[in-house]
Amino acid sequence: MPALVFAATFMDVNPGLVFWTLVTFIIVAFLLRRLAWGPLLRAVEGREQKITEAIESAKHERAEAEKLLAEQKTAMTQVRQEAAEQLQKAQESIAKFREELMAKSRLDAEAMKAEAARAIEEERQKAVLDMKAQAASLALTIAERLLEERMDDAKQKQLAEWFANELGPRAKA
Amino acid sequence: MKRTAFATALAGVMFSSVAFAAGGESPPEVIMHHVSDSEEYVFEIPWPGIEKNPTLYFHNEVFDFLKWEKEPGACELALPHGSALSVVPSIAKWMNGCYDLRPTKNLMLMWISAALLLLFAAWPRRYKDASKLIPTGLRANMLEAIVLFIRDEIAGKNIGHPEAKRYTPFLCTAFLFILFMNLLGLIPNFGSATGSLAVTCGLAITTFVLTQMASFRSAGTIGFAKHLTGGVPWFLTPIMVPIEIIGLFTKPFALTVRLFANMLAGHMVLFFILSLTFLVTAWAVFAAVPMGVAIYFLEIFVGLIQAYVFTMLSAVFIGQGVAMGHHAAEH
Repeated sequence: MPALVFAATFMDVNPGLVFWTLVTFIIVAFLLRRLAWGPLLRAVEGREQKITEAIESAKHERAEAEKLLAEQKTAMTQVRQEAAEQLQKAQESIAKFREELMAKSRLDAEAMKAEAARAIEEERQKAVLDMKAQAASLALTIAERLLEERMDDAKQKQLAEWFANELGPRAKA
Repeated sequence: MKRTAFATALAGVMFSSVAFAAGGESPPEVIMHHVSDSEEYVFEIPWPGIEKNPTLYFHNEVFDFLKWEKEPGACELALPHGSALSVVPSIAKWMNGCYDLRPTKNLMLMWISAALLLLFAAWPRRYKDASKLIPTGLRANMLEAIVLFIRDEIAGKNIGHPEAKRYTPFLCTAFLFILFMNLLGLIPNFGSATGSLAVTCGLAITTFVLTQMASFRSAGTIGFAKHLTGGVPWFLTPIMVPIEIIGLFTKPFALTVRLFANMLAGHMVLFFILSLTFLVTAWAVFAAVPMGVAIYFLEIFVGLIQAYVFTMLSAVFIGQGVAMGHHAAEH
């Protein structure tokens, strides 16, 4: 029965071999779990976790940096604005001060001019009166000398008054 | 790399041919001998120029203390011709009271694979220092790629979080253990332990146990029992419950047979193509060797695919077990 011999040689299920297969498999599985898969999977999981953490922290840091940058930008803008405001204010105050100063000095100058004009007028009046008096006395003296010889006192006086009146307005002009 | 792989394949084919020539047995006998489990394991190293190749020989007589007889002579069982049990002589022996736990050829191959796997994955571990974030070295990177694929693509998508984490180490071990056993068979003088029904059965039992544990964890005993009724009207339960119970076993059965048949078929095809040289004409070597090389490369692929399929389906079944709790909640 060659066909049966063939069949018998490889269809056989040896219970002893089944037993040893189970024993071997369990030992190998246990050893590999302890020595290979456990450490390997732990290392891989640790790596995965670390990478995830790194990505997370990178994201976090980036967000932080962006926030900081935005803050910085806001602060810069604010500072610039403030500086501009300050500058403008300073310019304004300078302009105002200048205007005030100008107005004041103009007033002062005008006041001084007026004062000077008044003083000049006063001096002139004084001088005119002086001159009038001097001219009168001079004329009197001259006239006295001229008329000493030919006129009496009455005529002298009449003539002197006439002179004074005639001369007055002319001197004033 | 390519050249090395090609040379390996070719060498494998040649060594196998040498084995045929040296054996003096008929090719079908040699093939059956190769794909079957055996009490002895002969590791013959091809050595040109001398009369007899150097040979490592193992016979499991040395482990006779692992054999118990219920009554003397229980192991000298002669099955009558045509008996259904003659297809599974080992089971017949156990039923007769001969409890044989002696390591066989396939167990040797499995242990070699397990040792290689432990050397590959666990020996100088680079993950001792968890603070080292960047994996260095070819092996660490390979392992990480495999483990992450299983975690994300197999466990994550079929089981779902957070339960996936619990089953990832099992799936990783299942995948690599099966892969190593599959690929060991491609090295001349070795064989695939997964080409044996007993081995794939043992592997499927682990998946079965984990699936049931997942179901119990998520649905509880009552939910599990309820699930067996399939939600049909009460008068149909006598039909439904046996069907559901059979259904529990069909999944691991499918896993068992798929892996076994694929590995067995690959080896048989490879050997039959090569033995054309001895069965038909010596000229066939010019066709048989290139075809053998092609099958060899196909077998690398099949070994990988079958390991993946087993892992994938295990994850799917466990995922169904995990999902049972949600179904139970819906009823």
